[in-house]
Amino acid sequence: MATPITIGAAAGEYMEAVLVTEWRARPGDRVRAGDVVAVVETAKAATEVEAPCDGVLGRIAAGEGGEVAIDTPLGFILAEGEDEGEAETAGEPEYAAASDPAPETRQATPMPAPARQPGGRVVASPVARRLARAAGLDLSHLAGSGPRGRIKRRDVEAALAAAPGVDAALPVVLLHGFAADAAIWSALAAELGRDRALLRPELPGHGKAPPPPGAGFNGLVAPMLEWLDAQQAARLHLVGHSLGGAVALALAGQRPGRIASLTLIAPAGLGPGIDGEALAGICRATHPESLLPWLRRLVADPGLIGDDYARAAMAGRGAALRAAQTALAGRLFPDGTQGFDLRPVLAGVDVPLRLIWGREDAILPWRQALAAPGHAGLHLLPGTGHMPHVEAPQLVARILREVLAAAQSGGGDRA
Amino acid sequence: MAMMRYAEALNLALREEMARDDSVFVFGEDVAAYGGVFKVTQGLAEAFGDRVRDTPISEQTLTAMAVTAAMAGSRPVLEIMYADFLPLSLDALINQASVYHYIWNGQVSMPFVLRTQGGGGVGTGAQHAKSLDAMVAHVPGLKVVAPVTPADARALLKAAIRDPHPVIFLEHKLLYNLRGEVPEEDDAPGEIGRARLVREGGDVSIFATSRMVLEAEKAADDLAGDGIAAEVIDLRSLRPLDLGAITASVAKTNHAVVVNEGWRFCGYTAELAATIMDRAFDDLDAPVERVATRDMPIPYAETLEREVIPDAAAIAAAARRALA
Amino acid sequence: MTANSPSEQELLEMHRRMVLTRCLEETLGEMHKAGRTRGPIHRCDGQEAVGVGATAALAAEDFVTTTHRGHAVYLGRGLDPRRVVAEIFGRETGYCAGRGGHMLLGDVETGMLGGNAIVGASIPAATGMALSMQLQGAARVALAVFGDGAAQTGICHESMNIAALWRLPVVFLLEHNAYGLTVHHSAQSSVPELSARAAGYGMPGETIDGNDVVAVFQAVAQAVQRARRGDGPSLIEARTYRLEGFSTSDMGGYQPEDEIAKWRARDPIMLSRARLAEALGAARVAACEAAARAEMDAAFETALADPMPGFTPHAPSAPYSEPPDGGGR
Ligand SMILES: Cc1ncc(C[n+]2csc(CCOP(=O)(O)OP(=O)(O)O)c2C)c(N)n1
Ligand SMILES: [Mg+2]
Repeated sequence: MATPITIGAAAGEYMEAVLVTEWRARPGDRVRAGDVVAVVETAKAATEVEAPCDGVLGRIAAGEGGEVAIDTPLGFILAEGEDEGEAETAGEPEYAAASDPAPETRQATPMPAPARQPGGRVVASPVARRLARAAGLDLSHLAGSGPRGRIKRRDVEAALAAAPGVDAALPVVLLHGFAADAAIWSALAAELGRDRALLRPELPGHGKAPPPPGAGFNGLVAPMLEWLDAQQAARLHLVGHSLGGAVALALAGQRPGRIASLTLIAPAGLGPGIDGEALAGICRATHPESLLPWLRRLVADPGLIGDDYARAAMAGRGAALRAAQTALAGRLFPDGTQGFDLRPVLAGVDVPLRLIWGREDAILPWRQALAAPGHAGLHLLPGTGHMPHVEAPQLVARILREVLAAAQSGGGDRA
Repeated sequence: MAMMRYAEALNLALREEMARDDSVFVFGEDVAAYGGVFKVTQGLAEAFGDRVRDTPISEQTLTAMAVTAAMAGSRPVLEIMYADFLPLSLDALINQASVYHYIWNGQVSMPFVLRTQGGGGVGTGAQHAKSLDAMVAHVPGLKVVAPVTPADARALLKAAIRDPHPVIFLEHKLLYNLRGEVPEEDDAPGEIGRARLVREGGDVSIFATSRMVLEAEKAADDLAGDGIAAEVIDLRSLRPLDLGAITASVAKTNHAVVVNEGWRFCGYTAELAATIMDRAFDDLDAPVERVATRDMPIPYAETLEREVIPDAAAIAAAARRALA
Repeated sequence: MTANSPSEQELLEMHRRMVLTRCLEETLGEMHKAGRTRGPIHRCDGQEAVGVGATAALAAEDFVTTTHRGHAVYLGRGLDPRRVVAEIFGRETGYCAGRGGHMLLGDVETGMLGGNAIVGASIPAATGMALSMQLQGAARVALAVFGDGAAQTGICHESMNIAALWRLPVVFLLEHNAYGLTVHHSAQSSVPELSARAAGYGMPGETIDGNDVVAVFQAVAQAVQRARRGDGPSLIEARTYRLEGFSTSDMGGYQPEDEIAKWRARDPIMLSRARLAEALGAARVAACEAAARAEMDAAFETALADPMPGFTPHAPSAPYSEPPDGGGR
């Protein structure tokens, strides 16, 4: 039976709480009745607190620097051989009568003190805080195993592993669309903040990635599949835009076990219709002036795309890149038609699934979204064109956070 | 590849740069006829004559002369025998060398190298055993490098000599006899500002400078016995710092130990700890642990000196504290 | 005999201290060969007359500062050989309890403040003490011992100018042993005779035979009297020679053999011995030397058995801020 260590006679009149300044014994230490086990500060005087009986110091309920109410135990003394788990219900009146826990939940080492002391702040390392924030974990209930009860990364990870439905911040993969590159995600990434790892690979023939090794849509998917297989995270959240949406969908179809959620932003592959003229115009352009009108067609508000934007975009479109993309467009969208159909794949997606589409998308009509299965959610953004993540990054970030949270609480987001 | 001592690698770099560029000259106390008290400049006077000069004991003036000789078209390499004498050079470094490029609006640059050696451990007492790295690294406009391996000694000395700006080149008295492979056939200069990954590990990052890198390696061996994988990074360049290497390693391990043989208060480890906090706060799982020399003069007696200057045991203990 | 001639008793005592010093240096040399010393040790074999003769000319309340090569000053000033040896070997019983070491020994009681391993630093050190004496109106003098290498530092010039300008009670004793580390003085100084520089500061300067302990005693005594009178500083250049290299870590090879042989033939102890033997008889001198050697042997024996200091709470460490948790490493 765990015996509580209390302040007892040390408490003065009118006092509600004392400050624990020092523990003279550590959990696991053998103590004798009358040994000084802790020092507390009462109205500016240090008072020694003695062990009430012989035994082994068990859990410390109030760590150094913590304030503790007069009627709460500072810690517990266990009988020789007594299990730590028996003192689990610290602070409750029936602490001594706690029932035997299941053997597998027993702690071999003394249970550390919760890092939040009564009236104090949570003491946690920066990385522990960051991971907990990303996973939606409340640190105030967590016990810290670090010095002075500090919550460390390992404590958060252990808590996440133990608690169903909570994961240790799976990374989010962002796949850009045709003729774009990883930089297209910067506005959205800024909105999402640093809580999650964002992975932004580039599609073959885009940005710094070499041209696709094979022809057709599968030639595009194969290297991305290889990339996915090389990722360390057990599972990932996939987000894809336009052609990148189609690739994301294909990846989800081929590696369902690795995907925690799927968010498709104006994805390709859900019907034959596409604005072939715009694709051809972008591929053809060699001057900012000839690129600008086609870029403007991507968005609902043409004012969003200025001369500077076009100049910067053109600067990144060297001859080799243009040639690779022209060839790719010819194979994927022959005669201005989507030459691949992923609707059967979409129908089979079982992970949390969202589609985000601009109502004024001039490149891919939003009605193609209607191919989605019943469990999918559809967000139709008013006043938005083909680039929701550029035109409405805040809103897209909000939807994404909801997807991540939903995947988490639905058990679909466990590492 | 050739095996050579650290001192020989420095000698090779000096020879190569003096042969390559007539404007390079070497001066300092005992550097010509005797070849330097640590034998780094051995044989240079025979090979390059008047371009290698013994000087009177006049550090303050010699440093000031290096600054303006560099401004006037030469590339001086000045040897200051002990880092403990750097305070004598400080006016020339702080009030002269570091300012002209800026205040004269880029009209002049001062390509000189000040070589010196510091550190303790061999009973040289309070005036011959200090590491004053922080004192020079504090000065904007000075670059500060501290190679540990013979290969780096050669490559970085070449880079320092070719650099258009003042470079303080920190050696350590206990490194001169260290042997290592030097790729003789590759005579490209090194790159100032890049750290060296000495050993990979996922549990704790140990960032060390100069001889402390060797102690950090020993500490990593010790930690490995406990199943702790320490990553050891030789910063090599104290200013500019390789921020990318530092943040990448902390992002991986979440634990940092910083080690420098200088004093602790306002010391180089303070800068490292602050840098890690600035750049990698959210990656930290524990406070940055600092390992430095105690804030006191270096005592003479061996029993005291070893308590004051950090060693592998102190580094390993710091790593364990970080991981607690 | 001039006014400053030492008595026979004084001569014998100076001789004894020179022999003590030589014995210290020779034993240190042997200990170094046996791997029992730590750090470089700067022996002053052949230069004993300078440190011993000069300190003999000081009054008990005067100050002296010296260099990394200060053993003759330590013993000349009357420091206890056992505690000197103990300091050289980093023992708790040393003059500085092992904190300073052989180059940095200091002793307030004798005004020996102290050895200094920053070349040139002993010069302003004595000058500052002299300033304090002048301000306090005390008739006490500070003696700065420094090398020919140190004479080339900026602080040497600055100290001499200020001392002469303010007529400070300081004596500049340039211990010219022909080398600054490995570099011969001809490669360090634009003039061969360094005492010539005194004229530039408006103070007396002379070059003397630094191997003749009487010459050193007399020259320093005269300069000390002048300083004590308030007539200001003097520069004495004592010519001597470093017989055993720069330090125990010197690889040598740069001091010509014939040069060494020439100076060995003028060994200051030999010269002093010959002079004393004539006056007091060889037996008395030999007995004095034997006693000095025995004293130094005993000093080594006791000092080497003394304990090393432990890193325990230590009052003089207090001003050096340590983090309260002791985690300062
Ligand atoms: C400021 C400074 N520069 C250089 C040194 C290294 N050093 C120690 S002794 C010495 C030579 C000193 O020559 P000198 O003054 O003639 O003294 P000696 O050794 O001949 O007694 C040098 C260069 C030093 N200790 N301090
Ligand atoms: Mg000399």
